[in-house]
Amino acid sequence: MTAGPAPEAAARVPTPPVSPTPPASAPAIVLDHAARWYGNVVAVNDVSFSLGPGVTGLLGPNGAGKTTVLHMLAGFLAPSAGEVRVLGRSPNRDPSVYRQIGLVPEREAVYPFLTGLDYVKFNARLQGMADPAGAARQAIARVGLDDAMDRPIGTYSKGMRQRVKVAGSLVHDPQVLLLDEPFNGMDPRQRIAMMDLLVELAEAGRTILFSSHILEEVERVGTEILVMVSGRLAASGDFRAIRALMTDRPHNITIRSSDDRRLAISLMADRSVFAVELTPGGLCVQTAQLAAFRRLIAVVSRAAGVSLFEVAPADESLESVFDYLVRR
Amino acid sequence: MKGAGPLGSIAAMLEISRITLRQLMGRRRTLLLVLLATLPVLLALVFRLGGQTDIQHFTRQSFDVVSMTILLPLVAILFGSGAFGAEIDEGTVVYLLAKPVPRWNVIAAKAMTAMIVSILLSGTSTAVAGFIVLAPAGNDGVLATEAQVLAMAVGSICYVSLFLALSLFTRRALVIGIGYMLVWEGALSVMLPGIANLSIRQYALGASAAIYQLPVEEARLSANTALILSAVLVVLTLAIATWRLMRFELPGGSD
Repeated sequence: MTAGPAPEAAARVPTPPVSPTPPASAPAIVLDHAARWYGNVVAVNDVSFSLGPGVTGLLGPNGAGKTTVLHMLAGFLAPSAGEVRVLGRSPNRDPSVYRQIGLVPEREAVYPFLTGLDYVKFNARLQGMADPAGAARQAIARVGLDDAMDRPIGTYSKGMRQRVKVAGSLVHDPQVLLLDEPFNGMDPRQRIAMMDLLVELAEAGRTILFSSHILEEVERVGTEILVMVSGRLAASGDFRAIRALMTDRPHNITIRSSDDRRLAISLMADRSVFAVELTPGGLCVQTAQLAAFRRLIAVVSRAAGVSLFEVAPADESLESVFDYLVRR
Repeated sequence: MKGAGPLGSIAAMLEISRITLRQLMGRRRTLLLVLLATLPVLLALVFRLGGQTDIQHFTRQSFDVVSMTILLPLVAILFGSGAFGAEIDEGTVVYLLAKPVPRWNVIAAKAMTAMIVSILLSGTSTAVAGFIVLAPAGNDGVLATEAQVLAMAVGSICYVSLFLALSLFTRRALVIGIGYMLVWEGALSVMLPGIANLSIRQYALGASAAIYQLPVEEARLSANTALILSAVLVVLTLAIATWRLMRFELPGGSD
């Protein structure tokens, strides 16, 4: 994976190249200074990256522009500026490129009156496959929906609907798979199975880009991630490096206790605590090591004879995590 | 594994037709349309039981007022605007468009399905009603019934084409269609004879004259003119629909 020039404020995490792209072959996905705006609203601004075979996670909070990037790659939005290429072709207005693209849209809607098998067969027929039924059964087996394939999709759970959408998108064995929030609605077991499937496909040489607003979803799959914030590419690189950046950042914790002042004095003595602020709403504590602090607070409060009423992280929203990355 | 070519194209179109048919049939409003289609048949029974088998009387009092003015436009506008409308509203259109199927194939499959369903519903209703009332009128009765069914067929094809294309531009195609039906065809085309060239109702009535000159006062176009204008309308609107579908954009969403 290579990323183009990120904005000044963005964090670039230098990592060894992980994607197994052979240097000679052209990348499957290229965004070259791509931008997309709607009237005065800029959804995606000057984003550049290229991807070869492998799994890449497109991360970012809601409204960051992830869906816009995926829709540009899928040919459903023309870039307002810059260039978007999939397998060397411009996906916009060239339907034949869909022979090599599989798309899982974010919207949950799937024809509710079709059975899972019929839906995947429908995809296979539209792909012009010679044996739609055989290909559909194979794809259904890959997502583990064999037991439910003869039921109407209208009776499926959210997670099952996601899986049948994935089966429909890979029935023609595309080179490029684009998935918009594919893990939404899946339980942890289904999520792991889906992640393993994506890794398996990547190992078979497919280029896979999936979006997510939940960092932990990427942990198992995405060795490579792209982080988008406010329409820009904020960071790109190895997941673990970016994850480490996020873990090392200071965490704010709000504490309410029977004696905030006394607790504050005791906490300041520990190295893991950066700062303590007394506020009318309780203590605001800044620490870099969340787990260590949780152990510390129990010990310290007991020693000081202070009763704890509440210990809550103050800023654990994903937005604040991404925001931190951008400021780095 | 891939079997493209003309056969693949036909298979894809058949698949799109099947999905469209199930979408159109699965809606509650279709049941209402079927009920509406029984109205001309019930009226025909009343005519027949009352001893009324006159072509002119039946054509003006039942065919023109109910089948031509209400049933045909309502059925065809609902099916025409619904062929894509539901897919766009629900977001399933992406499953059709993310496929290597030429856009004109998608339009043709959807349009033909909506046309066939409209013709079957309006045409069957008209044929049965005509048969009930006009069978005793001999050969003229049969020709008049055939002409009425032809009017339904031509009208269905035109309305479906126009409102299928419109549904790709606005989500209010159905409302606009009902407005067109009431204001343009219901009022303006009666008051202003000059706009007959721009009225699907006139195309349908005019085309029917190819079989039999129906005794409808305001039929203003010759059969040839009506058929040519119908063909122009269908080709033009479906070409615009294809053009629109080629540039169809999905919103970026809230992502």
